[in-house]
Amino acid sequence: MAKPSAKARLQGIERYREQVLSQPLAKGISPDEVRHYLAKLPQGRYPTVAYGKPRSGPLIQPRGGFPLFEAQHRLTRELDAAGADFIPLTIDSYTRHNQYDTAEQLLRRSENEGKNYLNGYPLVSHGYALTRELYSGLNKPVSLRHGTPDARLLVEVAIASGIVEIEGGGICYCFPYSEGFPLDRSLLYWQYVDRLCAVNSTEEAPIHRESFGPLSATLVPPAIVVAIQVIEALLAAEQGVRSFAVSFGQTGSVIQDIATAHILKTLTREYLRMFGFESMQTYLVYHQWMGRFPPERAKAAALIAGSSVIASIISADKIVVKTVDEALGIPDSWINADAVDTVMYMCRTFPCPQPLTSPLIEREIALIESETKSILETIFSMPGDIFWHSVFQAFQLGFVDIPFSPHADNANKLISMRDSNGSIRICDRGNVPICDEDAEQEGVLLQSRLNSNKDSEPTYKRLLSDINIMV
Amino acid sequence: MSRSRVVIGVIGDDIHIVGNRIMQLALEESGFSVYNLRTRNRPERFAQAALEVNAHAVFVSSLNGEGEYWCSDFRKHFSDVGLNNILLYVGGNIVVGKRRQEEVIALFKGFGFDRVYHQLSDIRVAITQLEEDLKHGQAKREGEAAGN
Repeated sequence: MAKPSAKARLQGIERYREQVLSQPLAKGISPDEVRHYLAKLPQGRYPTVAYGKPRSGPLIQPRGGFPLFEAQHRLTRELDAAGADFIPLTIDSYTRHNQYDTAEQLLRRSENEGKNYLNGYPLVSHGYALTRELYSGLNKPVSLRHGTPDARLLVEVAIASGIVEIEGGGICYCFPYSEGFPLDRSLLYWQYVDRLCAVNSTEEAPIHRESFGPLSATLVPPAIVVAIQVIEALLAAEQGVRSFAVSFGQTGSVIQDIATAHILKTLTREYLRMFGFESMQTYLVYHQWMGRFPPERAKAAALIAGSSVIASIISADKIVVKTVDEALGIPDSWINADAVDTVMYMCRTFPCPQPLTSPLIEREIALIESETKSILETIFSMPGDIFWHSVFQAFQLGFVDIPFSPHADNANKLISMRDSNGSIRICDRGNVPICDEDAEQEGVLLQSRLNSNKDSEPTYKRLLSDINIMV
Repeated sequence: MSRSRVVIGVIGDDIHIVGNRIMQLALEESGFSVYNLRTRNRPERFAQAALEVNAHAVFVSSLNGEGEYWCSDFRKHFSDVGLNNILLYVGGNIVVGKRRQEEVIALFKGFGFDRVYHQLSDIRVAITQLEEDLKHGQAKREGEAAGN
């Protein structure tokens, strides 16, 4: 029985760290000096402190990363001034794929020509000493946003820089972001990251981890999202992480958003308790629409406003925001600051002190709960006693299947579509072990849509219109 | 009658998977056997795969515009392995920036593609043309007999 356990904790992290830190790119990071630096960091830089303050709505986090230090510094100041609660540091895609030489070359070229040749901040190339300066005087948490299957060095540099919210996970930063990085290696490298976060944590000042629930952001059924979020919370807990946020992306259906938020919170707590990890603090993060955005700014602004209200309704602890330029490319910093302002305005204007419910929402909650439990129980009951290995095998066998993942090892057997209220329904479960009754109910709910109008349309056309629902 | 075999994939370092997956489902729904190379492929890979499965046609796609760079000698990779009659199609968002349709089509026809779909909104058009081409299309290329 492969159940999560603290016995899975990575032993001898100190010697492992020596190896990782011995490479020249680590630029002499010393674990002792880093611990000392973290102890002096202002309290406000820790996510648990930000989350712990009384508030009437979700905390707000924009996205953003520029190659040049000055541009990133300006963005940081502008987002801080606009009222962002979390400051993002988005990493360029060469660094994400460990191509540090290319990132370095393109950083120099960007510096020489004054143009951006990278789509984010090359943290490893800039190094921790300079990056500490980026945040001097800042009293808000900085969040590392990347998409890196092997983030060992990157997270060493991030923590040394005073960045103490680390997004990612062995699954959520591999299957949606890579076409070939082996999942087993990704899971092992993320054990290192989780353990690294744990050993740099104290009770009052824990390094915070966050999973990335949107995944491919394309018709992913909530049960798949919730199962993966619970798995990554458990994997982090195994390594001793004390503070963790689960997350999901706006589904496109208000009912499903409310249901997903509820069941994601509940099941995360339930499974942590089941395996003896109830001391881990958990939070809920909501991502504004991660799919294709409308190119018209007015429509994009409306979508951003609408999903801010949903974040409020579902009592998200944090909302990660988009900008009106989402469909057009990387936004200017003032566009980003505007987005923070809009979301803040909407959350303040539409507070929702109590969770909403209805028979439709209750039915959706029951269905997602039953499906998620079937998937998780199947993984827990697999032979062997190493949880991460069962997780790896579950993907090989298609027990967990992420629609539209670019990864070569994804099963691609599950097919999902939207029903008449826009909720994502499992139309073919593939090898995902949900029970016959649940599969049947998904089919019945989907029928409501098929009978209503587009009955004769081929599958691919229905999928396209379901994917492009917001455009 | 055995089903026609089509190799599909995204070229270059492009990792945009959604269109590729939709393409696979659409072709399968139309009765084709699809061999999907998925993302991040070099031109040689398409030729090797086509040879391996004895494909009737190859569909190359690109969303981030890398197509122009990678596709300039595309047909040569196929003639190098003896596949002289294979149908080659390209589609997606195949060049960087705004360029005239006729210009893009002429460019890729010059690279040896039989049909070019730049920013085509409905895959159905391409599939119908593929069906037509497979019926009596291959002989259209001058001096070559229809294969398979």
